[in-house]
Amino acid sequence: MLWLYLHFPHLVLDHIRRTRENQGALVIVEGSGQKVIQACPEAMSQGIRSGMRLKTAISLAPDLGIVRADETQEARILEDQARWLYRYAAHIVLVPPDGLLAEIGSLQKLYGGLPAVWQTVEQGLNERQLNAWIGIGYTPLAARLIARAGKGECTADKGHILRSLSQMPLLAAEFDEKACTRLQRLGLNTLGEVFDLPSGELARRLSPELLAYIQKIQGTRPDPRTPWQPPHSFRQQADFVQEIEHTQGLLFPLQRMLAELEEDLCWRQQDTDSLRLVLKHRHSEPTRLQIRTSGPEHRADNFLNLIRLRLEQHSLSSPVISMVLLVKRFLSREAPAGQDLLGETRDLNEAWHTLISRLQARLGDQALRQLSPQADHRPERAWSASEVLRKTGAPLIPAAELPRRPLWLLKGPQPLTEAPVTWFSGPERISGGWWDGQRVHRDYYIAQLNSGQLAWVFRDAREGWFVHGWFG
Amino acid sequence: MSAQSYAELFCFSNFTFLTGASHPHELAEKAHELGYTALAITDACSVAGIPRAWAALANSPVKLITGSWFELSDTPTGASTPRFILLARTRKGYGQLCQLITTGRRRAEKGQYQLFYRDIETHSLDDCLCLWLPPAPTEADSDQALTCGEWLARLFDPRIWIAAARTLESGEEQHLARIHWLADQLRIPVAAVGEVHMHSRERQPLQDVLTALRNHTNLENAGHCLFQNGERYLRPLPVLKRLFPATWLAETLVIAGQCTFEPGSLRYEYPPDLVPEGETPAGYLKRLTREGERRRYPEGTPLQVQSLIRKELGLISEMKYEHYFLTIHDIVAFARSRGILCQGRGSAANSAVCYCLGITEVNPANVELLFERFISKDRNEPPDIDVDFEHERREEVIQYIYRRYTRERAALAATVIRYRPRSAIRDVGKALGFDPALVEQLLEGIDWRDKATNWRQQILDKKITRNPKVADQFFTLVNTLLGFPRHLSQHVGGFVISAGPLAELVPVENAAMADRTVIQWDKDDLESLGLMKVDVLALGMLSAIRKALELISEQKGKTFHIQDVPQEDPDTYAMLQKGDSIGVFQVESRAQINMLPRLKPATYYDLVIEVAIVRPGPIQGDMVHPYLRRKHGLEPVDYPNDAVRKVLERTLGVPIFQEQVIKLAMVAAGFSAGEADQLRRAMAAWKSHGDLTPFREKLVTGMLERGHDADFAERLYQQICGFGGYGFPESHAASFALLVYVSAWIKRHYPAAFYCALLNSQPMGFYSPSQLVQDARRHHVTVLPPDVNASQWDHTLEGKERHLRLGLRIIQGLSVNGAERIHQNRPAGGYRSASELRRLATLNQRDMELLAGANAMPAFTANRHQAYWQLLDHEQPTELFAEEVAVDYQPEYCQQLPEPSEGQNVLADYASQGLTLQRHPLALLREQGHLKFCLSAEQLKSTKAGIPVQVAGLVTGRQRPGSASGVTFVTLEDETGNVNVVVWLETARRQRKPLLTARLLHVKGVLERQGDIVHVMAGRLSDLSHLIQSLPVHSRNFH
Repeated sequence: MLWLYLHFPHLVLDHIRRTRENQGALVIVEGSGQKVIQACPEAMSQGIRSGMRLKTAISLAPDLGIVRADETQEARILEDQARWLYRYAAHIVLVPPDGLLAEIGSLQKLYGGLPAVWQTVEQGLNERQLNAWIGIGYTPLAARLIARAGKGECTADKGHILRSLSQMPLLAAEFDEKACTRLQRLGLNTLGEVFDLPSGELARRLSPELLAYIQKIQGTRPDPRTPWQPPHSFRQQADFVQEIEHTQGLLFPLQRMLAELEEDLCWRQQDTDSLRLVLKHRHSEPTRLQIRTSGPEHRADNFLNLIRLRLEQHSLSSPVISMVLLVKRFLSREAPAGQDLLGETRDLNEAWHTLISRLQARLGDQALRQLSPQADHRPERAWSASEVLRKTGAPLIPAAELPRRPLWLLKGPQPLTEAPVTWFSGPERISGGWWDGQRVHRDYYIAQLNSGQLAWVFRDAREGWFVHGWFG
Repeated sequence: MSAQSYAELFCFSNFTFLTGASHPHELAEKAHELGYTALAITDACSVAGIPRAWAALANSPVKLITGSWFELSDTPTGASTPRFILLARTRKGYGQLCQLITTGRRRAEKGQYQLFYRDIETHSLDDCLCLWLPPAPTEADSDQALTCGEWLARLFDPRIWIAAARTLESGEEQHLARIHWLADQLRIPVAAVGEVHMHSRERQPLQDVLTALRNHTNLENAGHCLFQNGERYLRPLPVLKRLFPATWLAETLVIAGQCTFEPGSLRYEYPPDLVPEGETPAGYLKRLTREGERRRYPEGTPLQVQSLIRKELGLISEMKYEHYFLTIHDIVAFARSRGILCQGRGSAANSAVCYCLGITEVNPANVELLFERFISKDRNEPPDIDVDFEHERREEVIQYIYRRYTRERAALAATVIRYRPRSAIRDVGKALGFDPALVEQLLEGIDWRDKATNWRQQILDKKITRNPKVADQFFTLVNTLLGFPRHLSQHVGGFVISAGPLAELVPVENAAMADRTVIQWDKDDLESLGLMKVDVLALGMLSAIRKALELISEQKGKTFHIQDVPQEDPDTYAMLQKGDSIGVFQVESRAQINMLPRLKPATYYDLVIEVAIVRPGPIQGDMVHPYLRRKHGLEPVDYPNDAVRKVLERTLGVPIFQEQVIKLAMVAAGFSAGEADQLRRAMAAWKSHGDLTPFREKLVTGMLERGHDADFAERLYQQICGFGGYGFPESHAASFALLVYVSAWIKRHYPAAFYCALLNSQPMGFYSPSQLVQDARRHHVTVLPPDVNASQWDHTLEGKERHLRLGLRIIQGLSVNGAERIHQNRPAGGYRSASELRRLATLNQRDMELLAGANAMPAFTANRHQAYWQLLDHEQPTELFAEEVAVDYQPEYCQQLPEPSEGQNVLADYASQGLTLQRHPLALLREQGHLKFCLSAEQLKSTKAGIPVQVAGLVTGRQRPGSASGVTFVTLEDETGNVNVVVWLETARRQRKPLLTARLLHVKGVLERQGDIVHVMAGRLSDLSHLIQSLPVHSRNFH
């Protein structure tokens, strides 16, 4: 088997740079923000190296762009590359965080020789604006070492590859730190010198693991790698013999497709919360509909109800010739939470979910809001209307700690136009918010007006009087 | 009782860390301004803010009340969490308060406290007043509140009040209703309090910032952690009258009236145990001095000294300082008895009495002129003696003090760690929610020595915020936060020793170090209260001198004491005049090495000046050049009048020492003694929070009025600023100069002993072992490598030739025990094989590998690679009485292993020992033709000034001294010595990368010369570090 290894020296950086206009020096720093873990070529040319303290890096390049490391992002980007490489090779191995292996022995024939394979990969990398170092070897480790050392050459010549490996400095051979120190202390400088040591002695004096590692590089010990599987997305397409002119007509074929989806989800033991429906027309652009559930879901009935509500709002612009149902987002199935013996909370939760989903489907996501208290002393900031919470949980602030506030808070303070009849309580002084430019400095009172209404009134620093709310 | 006035009884200062938003003195001054009758500072389980508030109220009718706020960690059954304030009624009550605080603090980790309700029941607190802070209705129900009140009332009645604050926050009405109800139920009077967190409402933003930081969040997310408003400030009396019933206000005055304790009444009570029974302190001190006289002057005390002693003893008696001198004598005597070298310094240390008591070695007969400022009678300033001990053995002295006086009576003074620009910017940035990485970027970009620090612009430039308003806020907050205390740390060695339990004088708390306790006050606080401390400091050079003296004694065959060093040795001065001072105490820095050939010290007093002149004070005051010109007769020495002459005569009319500057303020600018003392304090505090500008006006006009020129006055002011924080008085310089002389004499006459002792006292001083070894070899000391068959743990001198044999301690990471066993179990004929070594010295694999890496087994291993190969074979179980067979000594050899090249050996030496005895890496690189046009350090000496040159070397030092604006000094080391490179700011800016990161630096520049001092003014810098890495590979080609 012949392996091709792609080493992405600064994958996340490349990914970010391709969407950036400004091509100045850029680094990725570790989570705590103290150390540089990746530096782009521009930063490198200013002397910045990975492992360097951020402080030093900044003093070298005062205008450095800084991006914080995010493992999941990195994993996702690597996976994207795997998906791309999968177009060419069937046996692909992810080597996180920054490497990909592809078995290319079988490809040579397909592409007409190794140079063609090499060129295809390089061209793809160029198009994708990614830097990668390519290495070729007869074992995964050999390909990796050569790639990471930047010594990759487009050759499958065994002798040649062995020579590159032999000349590789110890430090580039990725021994563990202890083994590397020991080998250096023996005066060894290259991988070749390690190959030359008698293997029995090597295992005895250094470690059996070290010998195994060397043998894996050389190919005298198997080094099986699990092939990467592309993420499976669900896709079902329905082609219609007769064009369908009304949304109602789509429901019947949908039942079948959704049933298959449910079956598929059950097989995966997963849920989804988002479906895509693509309606293709003969002459115009396809119609794309996104359907969201309010929580993880897998039952065809529920999907169908949602889609039906959605389709009812939607009139078809032109007849449909085929319909595709796509699911790309899979969620692991959770054990139903908060289930008590009688199953009542469950029902409540379900009812809540169903209600929310229906309202959202009917009105659109944006139209639905949930009120919640905010920890802020300023009344206008003490509440928020945010996206609907998927789960009903304990309130963020214990009710006992909430101050006494009117049920009806006016959208903005209204000038007080009459002298109150009775004063009930006050002043309550609220002063704060200096840090975000929304400073308030007010004395609040509860007062009864002529009309008998209980008003929440305040006086501000300019001595003006305002009504801010009404008590019930 | 009139309700005209008010006493504030609940007030946090910023010594309640991250809570109080005002300094104690700000609170005190505000209380004075508002016309309060009294002010209590009640920090959380602390009295750390008291001395500062007290000092601020010194001339004010406002009475300072000492108190502390407590929150207990548990609750009596059925009660709410007790929160209350205790106020000290009398000195006795103060002692009780301190004792309780000590209990709470000693029990918890550094910076925390923990008190239980049992503590309140068991501690005697009958002379403290209690202000109870009942829980809010949202926190506890009425039953719990009542139970808590009943519990406290049982303990404190009739010395208990309910404290009522008006914060104008929501829920206040219910809270006040509860207070009325509780007062009614418990029949306890109510007193008004301000729950003060800041002296003025303007501090609310800072208080919010501190609150956010305390809760580990930022302002955006702090929400209800923040107070609802900024009402917790010292309110004007009319406002208070509007808010509180008159009876509640009147009650505060009743409480204040009962508190009669005054911090100023604290008097230091000396431990009586130092004076033998039947003797008076004065008589005993006199007797000890007399005994010392006989030891110091066996041929009879010179008349001059006799009268000096009489005068000094008289003064000591008058000021009642006998115990202080006896305490120091006792500690020094202990050190002597253990053979620990020590040396006192400070104004009182260099007295005839201290010389006789053995506290100092500075002989007043030789330098009588110096010490007119012995103890100041005018100011009530305690004498100041710091004693330096050998750094490796100071712990013995500290343990002795704890033993002698017990932990109940001795503790270290605190050091208040304050907000500095970096920490303030970081914390305010955090609270405002700035990206930490950007804040770091900002910090990196700020030039800290740029006096006109334009942070605001820099903040805008860095795009931390685009909002100039936010930048303004940030700027104001950072400036206000600067100088705020952050936590208490331990003083380097200032002990407070008391007669009675120390915890009744000042609370004691835990330090970060195990088994260390610190009091809650720092040295300024102690000084302002007139309390004394004894400074027990560590000095590496004393360890080195003691070790060198031992080696000299060994060589001479008889004990050689520090007193046996001949005085004023011309060879020693000749050496120093050449700037040959690496390793010599105090004058080994690069700046000092450059100064030595210019100042050309030839007497002890020249050394005193040498020590003090290369300091920010004289440099910023531009006094260095005038002094040098006058010393070398290039400028006439003159004095405007006799008073000035008296102050400046010793230093040729140029002020060098801190004492002179202060005296000059008196004689030349007309400062009174009191004003001069203020100036001295302001100088000491300037670095952190002091302000010297008020003195400037007075100094300059005073001097102009008295006929001095404006330029001199301005320079003197600059010098005063320079002294700030780094004050270097003559009395300290005199003691240091003595050690300079002694260490220089040893270096000149016993170089092997000198370097050996220095190496055995590492880490200390300016230079690494590698630099010391190179310097030793330049001084013709033969240095031998570490060897299991010759070395001990320490470095030693071998044989008659006094060769310096490196000890096994030079091998980084080697265990002390292993090394000791190698030495102790070594067979007469030495070890014969690695396995024998392993067996006899019972060494573990790690130690064996380190020995191999150090090539420390030359007798039985071909080279370090082969040595290592042998060791990697895992230990065979050794039979106890196995016959030693010849095979045992047959080293295994591995054909495949390469011989180490010279370069490899050099690098391996560096890796294992931090130095090499083989050729310097630069010599190898030069031989390989890598440094074609570079001159060596040696060649530079004979090169003409103004010539473009190239040099290269290992970077051993990069320095940006505060006194040289924007210049970076780089020291390069090659095989012949050191090259000094000067990099101007502009050059540095353009070539940051090589300047900051190169380990091997190549410099193109211009040679400059000042007498024997040679610099290279850098032009182009290039990083050659890669050559070091490649050393072994390249050198192989030559084999």
